Amino acid sequence: MKVTLEVRPRRKPHLPIEAEKIVPRTFFEETDGLSVFRGNKELALEEIFSVAIEGEAASVDGVEITILGDSSRIKRVGEYMDGGRIHVMGDIGMHCGNFMSAGEIVIDGNADAWLGREMRGGTIRCHGSAGDFCAAGYRGEKRGMRGGTVEVFGDAGDFTAETLAGGTVIVHGNAGDLAGVDMKDGVLTIMGDTSMACANMSGGRAYVHGTVYDMIPTFRNIGRETVGGDVFTRFAGDIANRGKGTLFIRNYKYMD
Amino acid sequence: MTELLIRNACVIDPINDICGEIMDIAVRDGKIVESVGSGAEVIDAGGSLTMPGGIDAHTHVCGTKVNFGRYMSPEDMRAGRTARRGHMHATSGYSVPTTYGTSYRYSAMGYTTALEGAMAPLEARHTHEEFAYTPLQDMMANTLFDGNWPVMQAIHDGDIKRVAAIVGWTLSAVKGFAIKLTNPGGTEAWGWGKDVSSIRDVVPHFEVTPAEIIRAMIEANEMLNLPHSVHLHCNCLGKPGNYETTLETFDLVPNTNDKRQSLYATHVQFHAYGGSSWRDICSRSEEICRAINQKPQIVMDMGQVMFGKTTTMTADGPMEFNLYRLYHNKWSNHDVELETGSGIIPVYYNRKNLVNSIMWAIGLELALLTDNPWQCILATDNPNGAPFVKYPEIIALLMSKRYRNGVFQTVHPDTEHNVPLAALDRELTWKEIAIMTRAAPAKALGIVDIGKGHLGEGADADIAIYPLNINEIDPAKAPEEVIRAFGQTDYTIKRGRVVCCRGTCMVDGENTTIWVNPRISENHSMDHDPEFARNFDKNYTIRMRNYPVQEEYLQRNLCIETEARL
Repeated sequence: MKVTLEVRPRRKPHLPIEAEKIVPRTFFEETDGLSVFRGNKELALEEIFSVAIEGEAASVDGVEITILGDSSRIKRVGEYMDGGRIHVMGDIGMHCGNFMSAGEIVIDGNADAWLGREMRGGTIRCHGSAGDFCAAGYRGEKRGMRGGTVEVFGDAGDFTAETLAGGTVIVHGNAGDLAGVDMKDGVLTIMGDTSMACANMSGGRAYVHGTVYDMIPTFRNIGRETVGGDVFTRFAGDIANRGKGTLFIRNYKYMD
Repeated sequence: MTELLIRNACVIDPINDICGEIMDIAVRDGKIVESVGSGAEVIDAGGSLTMPGGIDAHTHVCGTKVNFGRYMSPEDMRAGRTARRGHMHATSGYSVPTTYGTSYRYSAMGYTTALEGAMAPLEARHTHEEFAYTPLQDMMANTLFDGNWPVMQAIHDGDIKRVAAIVGWTLSAVKGFAIKLTNPGGTEAWGWGKDVSSIRDVVPHFEVTPAEIIRAMIEANEMLNLPHSVHLHCNCLGKPGNYETTLETFDLVPNTNDKRQSLYATHVQFHAYGGSSWRDICSRSEEICRAINQKPQIVMDMGQVMFGKTTTMTADGPMEFNLYRLYHNKWSNHDVELETGSGIIPVYYNRKNLVNSIMWAIGLELALLTDNPWQCILATDNPNGAPFVKYPEIIALLMSKRYRNGVFQTVHPDTEHNVPLAALDRELTWKEIAIMTRAAPAKALGIVDIGKGHLGEGADADIAIYPLNINEIDPAKAPEEVIRAFGQTDYTIKRGRVVCCRGTCMVDGENTTIWVNPRISENHSMDHDPEFARNFDKNYTIRMRNYPVQEEYLQRNLCIETEARL
């Protein structure tokens, strides 16, 4: 089943739309009567999108949703997604792929904050940049993302992979402040730079191929180590949190 | 004039000695009366179980520390969200819900009155503001005196009249209801990084012991003629082997009041541990209950623990620090100048954990081993042992041996070697449950005379009608029916109005704050006491004239005036 959703031109394009219904399972089960919210107003899906559905699907995994047009303010697409595929041709709004457990989301443009928040499984690929709290946990929750893969080809914002507790996060560009803060488990890879990486980390592994600025002083320097042909400095910590995490860094700079 | 007639109610009203009679209840202008005219609105209860509205004798639902529990647990706000509907505001939260959430959920369970377990006098305004937004329950506030500097000074000087005068002034200034002691002396010691380990330890800088504080406060309480007794959270909460401290504390209590107990010991489950460490912790509920059975001057509540997620919050700062070292999760620690402190920690009680399983068993044992149900009140120290929404499950555990055994199978396998629960065959009756959830709390709090906890003529028309026929259902065999029925009333009636019908609240509501004002003779009054005023000038960040909670903070309220023997 191919579902094509094209965002119609809107008079006030900045108003966010809550679209948690846009997941393969909804279309697999029922295609009529779907709605989204703008503020406290419930609107039919067709008011915001022109909808085209072709074919049938035998399972959730047979559903592919394509989103066209200006979708930069469409929020919560792919929330609780448990199979199938979503392809966003442009940018996507906040909370894309919240709690998803299986399936694939591909974003050609940029993603706003909270991409793949508390994800359990599946794959998210973002070809542009991601906002703050990419692959992070909900506020107050001890364990954030627990499985699956998030790959960002551009930059990621602050608090990337905060409270990461499983799965893999790869950022090909730079990450903002405090990447991997409170990490418990899983693997975080940043190809560019970041700052204050992995503060309060208690488990898992992180690789920074660029430079870590304002390096946290409570990591113990273990020494040089070669990983995949590159020479890293290996750190253990965060010892301020009885941490058993491992941090591999190409270059680092402590705060002056 | 509004009139209401409830027909065919199967009434259990222990205070008036009614047990399962089918009768009609007439209500006029919020009070229960002999009869009403033919124009009255009629509710047909159809033989359903009808009781006075539930009373929670110890719960933490309003005030600064509850609100800080909300602040620090945004993840808790994800649970239990409901949308705005009719008269009901949107709510969120599970263990520390919004005030409306608390109020609606209590009301759906038939609860119409609640006592906030701990209000720091200095932070009383916040508690009263939240009372105003808990519209479907009448509220009272226990006022903390465990580390009050002028009080400890007066105890040290051996001047009980001065203790009573300070307590009386403070209660009426902050519109409090009763004296609460939380780890007396220990919370003050915590201000210096210390704790007390028995009731004979000396509190640093004040040269008084917890035992002296407890004894003096019981005496002062009777001098002030307060409706409720001293409300005590014993020392050494949650420490293995603490049952000895609890028993020593019980031995301090004289029998001084023939209308009610002289001491209310709260959440005793947390104070009934044997052993010497977490490895050999065991239940000492039998010793505790033996003491309770011999001492009619003490009433306790269970402090039942139920498995799952919750938040612990107490004025017992040092205890929360110990918990923090166990869990290593987030922790709040707070000092209230010259008065008390507090701590908050989110916890998860796990049935696979031996200590948690033992805690679960002890609470039930306390209820089952206490001969007189008037002496053991059903409560979880909400939310410390479990959120109050678990009360129906606790009722089922107490009423059905079979259900209890079923849950016992799922807990840590070593539990049976450490607790006597499996050997207890007692199953509580409907009447005993009615006593533990409404009649005994009303009597213990001393609010029977103002019309709470019973359905006699002149009582407040706070009534709960549960969808359950006690003649058809055997609670021992059908615990799930008990849980369902106590989880949601058909009708909850407050002050003669239906406020909640099958879980839906029907009115905006307006509650009553009940507080006390002991009348103290002019020559003992603190109003013009130079030393008392000097303490404010010297030590407090607030002047004495700004300290009392202004009338604006109270909306609808009922002041119980007492004549102090001073």
